[in-house]
Amino acid sequence: MNLVLIFLIIIFSSSLFFYGRSKTKSLAISGNIKLNALPKFYGYYLVLWCSIPALVFLLIWSLFEPVIIKSIIIDTAAKQGAIFNDKNEANLVYEKIKAIHLGTYVGELDSILKESALAYAKFINIFANSKVVLIFGIIIASTLYSLKKIKNNNKARDDVEVILKGLLFVSSLIAILTTLGIILSLLFESIKFFSVINIFDYLFGTNWSPQRAFVRDASSITLAEYQDLKDAFGFVPLIAGTGFIAFLAMLVAVPVGLFSGIYMAEYASLRVRRFSKPVIEILAGIPTVVYGFFAALTVGPFFRQVGENFGLTVSSESALAAGLIMGIMIIPYVSSLSDDVINSVPQSLRDGSYAVGATKSETIKKVVIPAALPGIIGSILLAVSRAIGETMIVVMAAGLAANLTINPLESTTTITTQIVMILVGDQEFDSPKTQSAFALGLTLFIATLILNFIAQRAVKKYREKYD
Amino acid sequence: MNKVKIKSKNLNVHYGQKQALFDVNLDLNEKEVTALIGPSGCGKSTFIRCINRMNDVIDICKVTGNIEIDGVEVNDKNLDVVSLRERVGMVFQKPNPFPKSIYENISYGPKIHGKGDTKSELDEIVENSLKKSALWEEVKDRLDEPGTSLSGGQQQRLCIARAISVNPEVILMDEPCSALDPIATAKIEELIDDLKKTYTIVIVTHSMAQAVRVSQKTGFFHLGKLIEVGKTEKIFKNPDNKMTQDYITGRFG
Repeated sequence: MNLVLIFLIIIFSSSLFFYGRSKTKSLAISGNIKLNALPKFYGYYLVLWCSIPALVFLLIWSLFEPVIIKSIIIDTAAKQGAIFNDKNEANLVYEKIKAIHLGTYVGELDSILKESALAYAKFINIFANSKVVLIFGIIIASTLYSLKKIKNNNKARDDVEVILKGLLFVSSLIAILTTLGIILSLLFESIKFFSVINIFDYLFGTNWSPQRAFVRDASSITLAEYQDLKDAFGFVPLIAGTGFIAFLAMLVAVPVGLFSGIYMAEYASLRVRRFSKPVIEILAGIPTVVYGFFAALTVGPFFRQVGENFGLTVSSESALAAGLIMGIMIIPYVSSLSDDVINSVPQSLRDGSYAVGATKSETIKKVVIPAALPGIIGSILLAVSRAIGETMIVVMAAGLAANLTINPLESTTTITTQIVMILVGDQEFDSPKTQSAFALGLTLFIATLILNFIAQRAVKKYREKYD
Repeated sequence: MNKVKIKSKNLNVHYGQKQALFDVNLDLNEKEVTALIGPSGCGKSTFIRCINRMNDVIDICKVTGNIEIDGVEVNDKNLDVVSLRERVGMVFQKPNPFPKSIYENISYGPKIHGKGDTKSELDEIVENSLKKSALWEEVKDRLDEPGTSLSGGQQQRLCIARAISVNPEVILMDEPCSALDPIATAKIEELIDDLKKTYTIVIVTHSMAQAVRVSQKTGFFHLGKLIEVGKTEKIFKNPDNKMTQDYITGRFG
């Protein structure tokens, strides 16, 4: 239905392009007047005016229609004698009514449900009809309006400019609002979580075992239950595990990435560079899940074997394997970004160093790297935030046990992995266990936000120096 | 007439397929300022970059022929480029101080070459270099500030001080004043006049007036060829070559 409407709107408005163009052309000839814009702009003007209002209306309508119908139906059901104790029950009844209407309902039918389903069908019909009528009305109105403007030889080029500017603005607004929406949803769910679990218990607790939280309703939690939950959501093992694995990853990625960046920027001939840079960047294109099973199936067992030879017990899921593979995954980020910043150190600085008799490596060590340092630090911080946010490799290679350990041979876990664990499968949405995922998400978000902020500041500071 | 310090014989330079210098034969005298003039792209900068082998940095650049300093061949494959550049300093068109403190900008060269083992020796080198480049009075209280915080003219004098710091015999200057205002230019010219007592100086310039003011000898390049060379006075008053005459009177270039 909606698709057909959209299709019709687009067909109709695009055909108006040709009408607008030829109409203004003939207008110019017959009336012997100078047009205020090229004929095609009148075409564009018509297209934009006839499609955008109708499409926007359709969008808004589709957003609000279900909400309005739902409240009406729940109202009518209540009037017929249905009793709802809370919102959930009302929702359930509404879903039942919908199912009856669609013919997929299999439960018991009573008179209330039957009546409501009929009412539902009636309202759906009314809404659909009035939608079509309103849309046609809007199209006719906007077409008449724009045609009248065209006949008066409006400044169509400027008007199109204004409309397009508006479109671009709305696009960026959507991006911003989405971000805001995500942050708010994280925030609200987290607030619910922190209303049950004290924020200090969360931030400084050293024990993470969310499966203990079987409390269904967070609002009616008893003191005893709370005492039990109090030490189930300790954030420390997760942040420690995350930091530890990220640290191991950086231990691999920073030296290898930085040195390969230096080689690419300073030593590699054009031919080598042209070949090897894309190859390194392919590393960044490998899906992380592929790294994941490489870590879990090849590297993990390999470490265990090597460990056994040295008489060490290595867990088959170890922080070491996850960190190593994650480090390899991150190499291209560090390498490519530091290559770029090293490349943008002006040649004149190198010349200045050579001119006092410094060798190439002295120049790199004492002039180029210090000059590029803020940028390099920025690239490393971006890589760290990448490492912290990485999930798949850790799920597959580092295990799920929230151990508070700094032994790289034991299994450990990270924030992202725990979020996955919590949300996989059927969940009660108002249990603290589920809500804890939002709290974790929020914490992670804040951590990476701070890192990105610092990184961008560092990169910016570096740019200012030479531009 | 001072003795010849640098001597080029049939010097040719190619950038890839393109030839930038054609059989240049030019003698530069010790403790004198030689100015190289000519229109853009005529090869004057390429020539001075041959003297300290800065062209090595450019991959596609190939230098053939001879260039000698005190009778020692510069283009010799076995020559230690690092010690050559220690003897032949260079100042560039755009001031290029390192993004380090003023002090570190000067101490960089001496440290690399193992001069000035103790802090006080290094302090002395820094102070002397800055004094010689007439910058000491302006920066002595703020040696820890970044070199990039100085004004353009000061930065260029800092770069001259950096070149002096390793105590070279020759200083090459590639249009050192082209990015500076007249006042800063005047200061640099004064400084060049002073420096020639100690160093052999080669300066590339687009300003005819500057060549007249600072140099004793002038060479005119055109399209990669050395057209005429002689005493500055003669070149500017009574050149032998018609092209030189046209260039200095501003008829082309």
